[in-house]
Amino acid sequence: MSSSWSRALTQISPYTFASIGIAISIGVSVLGAAWGIYITGSSLIGAAIKAPRITSKNLISVIFCEAVAIYGVIVAIILQTKLESVPSSKIYDPESLRAGYAIFASGIIVGFANLMCGLCVGIIGSSCALSDAQNSTLFVKILVIEIFGSALGLFGVIVACAAHLDHNQIISCC
Amino acid sequence: MSSFSGDETAPFFGFLGAAAALVFSCMGAAYGTAKSGVGVASMGVMRPELVMKSIVPVVMAGVLGIYGLIIAVIISTGINPKAKSYYLFDGYAHLSSGLACGLAGLSAGMAIGIVGDAGVRANAQQPKLFVGLVSVELQVSVNPCGMVCLCNALELKTAVQLEMIIFGRE
Repeated sequence: MSSSWSRALTQISPYTFASIGIAISIGVSVLGAAWGIYITGSSLIGAAIKAPRITSKNLISVIFCEAVAIYGVIVAIILQTKLESVPSSKIYDPESLRAGYAIFASGIIVGFANLMCGLCVGIIGSSCALSDAQNSTLFVKILVIEIFGSALGLFGVIVACAAHLDHNQIISCC
Repeated sequence: MSSFSGDETAPFFGFLGAAAALVFSCMGAAYGTAKSGVGVASMGVMRPELVMKSIVPVVMAGVLGIYGLIIAVIISTGINPKAKSYYLFDGYAHLSSGLACGLAGLSAGMAIGIVGDAGVRANAQQPKLFVGLVSVELQVSVNPCGMVCLCNALELKTAVQLEMIIFGRE
């Protein structure tokens, strides 16, 4: 115990951190997906007034945003399986504390990376719909940009799953 | 607790550093991709043949996300209290490098987005500007983020080694 931050942190149960991490991973991911979908959807529906042919193709943008929410759900379920109960004498052991912090960080990573990804894909999807309405050869080209955007959500899932959860220590979790 | 050396709460700061590296880099990459993507889509209505050339800012912004991913993975795999004792020093070092990399990525991404948006629209009107656009994008993406990220990864390891020498820890 060398500093006041440490002293304060050891008083907080690792269950708190783990639970908040799991909640953030799904909640903020779905927030990102919803934000992206409404940005794309409103532009898509507006543009389809004059160009009804675009609706079925541009649903792909909505699906890209939806995938972000699914990433959040998957990681939340994986993180939740890492939670085990330990006897209360061992809750504040270093391994348990570390596991709690790891789950918290994984949740934050996935949640906020997916939030940004959902926003990005939504904005690009809306401009994709609008430009598709003017010139249908543009759809595939702008879709390439959307694919770059949707890779950001995958980065979050990769870091959360590969870097945090494959440690041997985390199996004997809090 | 008998075989444990190092500070118990240090992993909190270490993991937060990894989180900061990825999350802020993703913010920058998302901003860059979205802003320049909107520019490309708007420009493409008038000049469809220039769209594929104008994807340069989007690619540059995507690379920022990869920088954040690399640093986040390096930091997370470095937090291993069973293999090597993890003191508060290591935790704070990881936090600082994660924040540095992430915030550099955020700022680089915003710059890439704004320059990319203006650049692709200008390129549509004046084709000679393409070289200028690409060189500005390269400057913006490589200088802050690439250098900082690579130096970070090195600094992490050398700082920890320096600390071991100075304080004589094992």
